[in-house]
Amino acid sequence: MTVMFLIGTLVCALSVVVCWIMTAVRDHPADSSIISLALIELYLIVYAVYAGIRQAAGASIAGEAWEFWGYIVTALMLPVGVFIWAMIDKTRWSNLVMSFVGLVVFVMIYRLEEIWWGSAL
Amino acid sequence: MSENLNSTTADGGRVKAASTDGGRAKAASMPTPRNRGVGMLIITAYGIFAVSSFARALYQILTDFDASPVAYALSGFAAAVYIVATLALARIGARAWLIALIAVLVELTGVLSVGLWTYLQPELFNEATVWSHFGEGYAFVPLVLPFIGLFWLLRHRPGRSAARGTQA
Repeated sequence: MTVMFLIGTLVCALSVVVCWIMTAVRDHPADSSIISLALIELYLIVYAVYAGIRQAAGASIAGEAWEFWGYIVTALMLPVGVFIWAMIDKTRWSNLVMSFVGLVVFVMIYRLEEIWWGSAL
Repeated sequence: MSENLNSTTADGGRVKAASTDGGRAKAASMPTPRNRGVGMLIITAYGIFAVSSFARALYQILTDFDASPVAYALSGFAAAVYIVATLALARIGARAWLIALIAVLVELTGVLSVGLWTYLQPELFNEATVWSHFGEGYAFVPLVLPFIGLFWLLRHRPGRSAARGTQA
């Protein structure tokens, strides 16, 4: 398991927990839920830059490069897309909608790690 | 905890005030529409599956369709079903409701039959699809999702509650 994967797991887990708590205690989209999505997005940008520099320097990955970058692009769009969608109706449920990002991005970085190193764990 | 709640009522007050004349009044006269509240959640789940199954199918079909044509064709079909279901669920109206119902039923049939098929003839599926083994690769969410979608659609039939919002 790489440090990047560990950080990603923690960021995603934190976001999911924050969004779930906010679903219970707020009846509008909470700032903390939105910030937790921003943190995931920031993490993904760092991950992409890190991967980009490494691969540009000639490091090879176990899987297909364009599958890897397909996942990165999709993952980068996810927090933005879900945020816009969650803001359409500003209720308690916006927080629960936003909690999906942490769950899905975790799965995606798990897959990214598999493509990068051959195994995520 | 209570202190925390109070402090945010101040900044949340604006939002609440705005939703009181819009949201609450609306809620009093008619129930939450099909694509709001919990419905948003279901649509989000469908949307995520639409995007991810589409990306996966696109990748599989473009790179090596010959490796497992049955599985890849089914991936593409599943992606199309999820996209139609997402769009139809997100729309209000009797026609969208019917399209959503058909899409969800096709999805249910798909996940059950492909799930079974992958157990009976695994040699046809050396590459996975969303629906392989009843959605095992996706934590069985593809198996649960159509039931949730069906439940939601049957609870919000156009003729009964949503119709008032639709006709206007």
